[in-house]
Amino acid sequence: MITLEQKNFEEIEKMTKGYNRLLVLGCETCAAMSFAGGQRQVAELASAIRVARKTSGEQGEVLEEAIARQCEPEFVDLIKDDVAGCDAVLSLACGAGVQLLAERFPDKVILPGCNTLFLGVTEELGVWSERCAGCGNCILDKTAGLCPIARCAKQLLNGPCGGSMNGKCEISKDVDCVWQLIIDRLDRLNRLEMLEEIFPVKDWSPAGHGGPRKMIREDLKL
Amino acid sequence: MYDNNPVNAMEHPPCRVACPILTDVREYVQLIAERTFKEAYASIRKLNPLPRVCGRICTHPCETACKRGQVDEPIAIAALKRFASDGPWKGRYEADVPDKSTGHKVAVVGSGPAGLAAAHDLAILGHRITIFEALPVLGGMLRMGVPAYRLPKDVVDEEIQAILDLGVEVKTGVRIGEEINFTDLSEQGYKAVFVAIGAHKDQKLGIAGENEFEGVVSAVSFLRAVNQGQNPKTGKKVAVIGGGNTAVDSARCLLRMGAETVHIVYRRSGDEMPAAKEEIEEAVHEGVQIAYLTSPLEILGQNGKVSALKLMKNELGEPDASGRRSPKPVPGSEFTLDVDMVIAAIGQAPDSSFVADKLELTERKKRIIVKGPYTLVTTQPGVFAGGDAVTGPATVVEAISAGKRAAISIDLYLRGEPLPTIEPAEEVKREKLSPALVEKTRNFARCGKISLPAEDRLKGFDEVDAVLSEDLATKEALRCLHCFLGARIDKEKCISCLTCVRVCPLGIPTTNKMGEITIDPFACQACGMCVLECPVWAIDISLNFRSKIALEIEQVISRSQQAEPMIVGFFDLHGNFRSTDVKSLRQDYPNILPVMVFGLRRIDTCDILKAFESGADGVVLAGCPPDTDPFPETADRVKRRIAHARTLLDALGIDGARLEVCDMPEKGIVDKELIDGLIQRIKEPVQASSE
Repeated sequence: MITLEQKNFEEIEKMTKGYNRLLVLGCETCAAMSFAGGQRQVAELASAIRVARKTSGEQGEVLEEAIARQCEPEFVDLIKDDVAGCDAVLSLACGAGVQLLAERFPDKVILPGCNTLFLGVTEELGVWSERCAGCGNCILDKTAGLCPIARCAKQLLNGPCGGSMNGKCEISKDVDCVWQLIIDRLDRLNRLEMLEEIFPVKDWSPAGHGGPRKMIREDLKL
Repeated sequence: MYDNNPVNAMEHPPCRVACPILTDVREYVQLIAERTFKEAYASIRKLNPLPRVCGRICTHPCETACKRGQVDEPIAIAALKRFASDGPWKGRYEADVPDKSTGHKVAVVGSGPAGLAAAHDLAILGHRITIFEALPVLGGMLRMGVPAYRLPKDVVDEEIQAILDLGVEVKTGVRIGEEINFTDLSEQGYKAVFVAIGAHKDQKLGIAGENEFEGVVSAVSFLRAVNQGQNPKTGKKVAVIGGGNTAVDSARCLLRMGAETVHIVYRRSGDEMPAAKEEIEEAVHEGVQIAYLTSPLEILGQNGKVSALKLMKNELGEPDASGRRSPKPVPGSEFTLDVDMVIAAIGQAPDSSFVADKLELTERKKRIIVKGPYTLVTTQPGVFAGGDAVTGPATVVEAISAGKRAAISIDLYLRGEPLPTIEPAEEVKREKLSPALVEKTRNFARCGKISLPAEDRLKGFDEVDAVLSEDLATKEALRCLHCFLGARIDKEKCISCLTCVRVCPLGIPTTNKMGEITIDPFACQACGMCVLECPVWAIDISLNFRSKIALEIEQVISRSQQAEPMIVGFFDLHGNFRSTDVKSLRQDYPNILPVMVFGLRRIDTCDILKAFESGADGVVLAGCPPDTDPFPETADRVKRRIAHARTLLDALGIDGARLEVCDMPEKGIVDKELIDGLIQRIKEPVQASSE
């Protein structure tokens, strides 16, 4: 899933100031699972904005709505009337959702209520961590199922570097050195010889370095 | 109106399913837990015309079925019923009797619990009822059979009076079949008859000596004499033969009337003994001795009086038709017991001779045969029958159930509508709770009984058990595990995020590999954790559901008298406080607006914000003391949730210190110092330095 977190309240308050009718719009997939933009967090944030406005004497109405995914035009279009009736939309989706809203509602102010963080896994309730960088060229078959692009601070393909100490990365003692993990796992799998294959220089174009990416499936498109 | 259809055991709590009149036990137990006793009484009384009787002598199949019984001990439901029905709040029962009578006259023959229940329900339906009672007083076995130490006579009087107050007419001292017969009734305009004559005829022992000696007495006539205050002659050494409640009642009465030794002689073992386990225990506690696996052979006498009882030991053989293992005499095991009185309590049959030419009776015990166990129709049109006269000696709640069923049938009959065919509910074998769940469920000791010490009991016929105190009753009601009141998932909203699976302290929600979540509604104890944490609000709950809490916040604020500073207080019902504590809180602090909840777990940041949004100046959350919290493992999580709310409030420009969270005191609802401190902080906020 894509993990995201709500921006801090001060920032939200500042960016929403002056929009009399504000629609807080939730996104009930990744954002909900990140406890940043499901119905519960929409209600909490909308209520918080109302209380803050009341305290500061600011007028206006704060509305609440949520759709299944803000990254799908059909869902977005279902709320066009709600959007039309407000001065600004505070989207609690990832950056993709915010931008699709902006695209579908060209005349409306769309504001991001969340910061999009990473593609990751749930370690346990309330704890998520990054696992994938979306580089467009998966090499997990060669690295024992552990990704050095997403999990090595230097994105080294032939690690570890000299900064690896006692299994930890030099950037923080709380961060595992993924190359240490790769070696340990290959050892456990009895596949250490795989390390003898040297990765060539990585082609970063599928990772977006060749410009914004787009995927088209001729067999599927309408 | 009362619905007699069997309920689906997979959708209703086991206590209700087990009750012959389908009492909504869970509802009144919850109302007691909420300290709303008047409402609890109303909940009981609307279905049961004899709640104070049932609170004392019901054999409470509900308790046997109770889910908590699988964890530690069942909820003391009967004691709670008595608490709710005995209390000063009950007032006069205001039944909803229609202004206009239907004009139909119905004769109820017999004034025991079956007859009374039928009269009650039929009167409420607007029919004109006359009860015909052969004895000079009303109540049937409630008055003539059950001794006063279990059921005081004034309780019976009051409950009967409330039924008569509905406009029910009474003719005592009239024996149908002698003074008046069915044809007369019909000629007098009675359109329907309910025969509920009970089973008052003792059965003979059928052994030698039974009819020869003075001192051989039948249990029914003995108890009737005792209950009428006739002080019948009692022996010093008495044997009571039989194993039912009548035998145990006789034995306990005998001890109160001066008998020195009382033996109950029962032919099978304790496991098969039909008397209520509790009654047997009380009898033994008072000094009754029980000779199990023993049968009487002969009553011996001297000078025309009973002098001894010849007995024989048995062993248990194969199960008989009743499913119980049958006694087999052990050769050579004869012995004698010195006694001067023998009471025969081996079962009763209805005195049904007067209907023998009209109604069909069973061959041996002369019970009245009905065509359907729900409709209670007899072979005679317009004549219905129920209670002990049909079933043989049974329990008070079964008799009430028969009366209520008869009322439904008679009402339909009078209105010319067909009687429904009701199939008995299929017996559903509910799965037992998993050992893991039992392990995780916190135990709370049952507070079911306050009894007189045995030595005080035997001085007379004072009631043995006292009514529970408010403290004990509330505590007991809070032990309820809320079957079928818990989390319900809306599968259309669910996004399979697994939060419920992760957050449940009992491990109830489960998922399949496609993310479809299942929450067992019987196992769930309605703690509410998943309901709150669900990020898309796909789960709701019947106990304290989310919208109800939100609505209550709105209501308390809209009702408030502009008291300042206005504080919304969330109070955990699991605390050790009384209804009067809530009242005095309202008096002492009219500015505190209480919202009662089953655990602070139920309160989300949204609710706290909602209070501030609606105009509150402060919020106080008072949780129960840790020793009364059924889910102590959630306490830390609740604290962190409140800390999050406080941080948010600070960010909003509302001092987070306006949100107070505390444990309730050992006794009472709230610590005054703490409340005063909060009020002080709201009135005089600490100004942040402007430098």
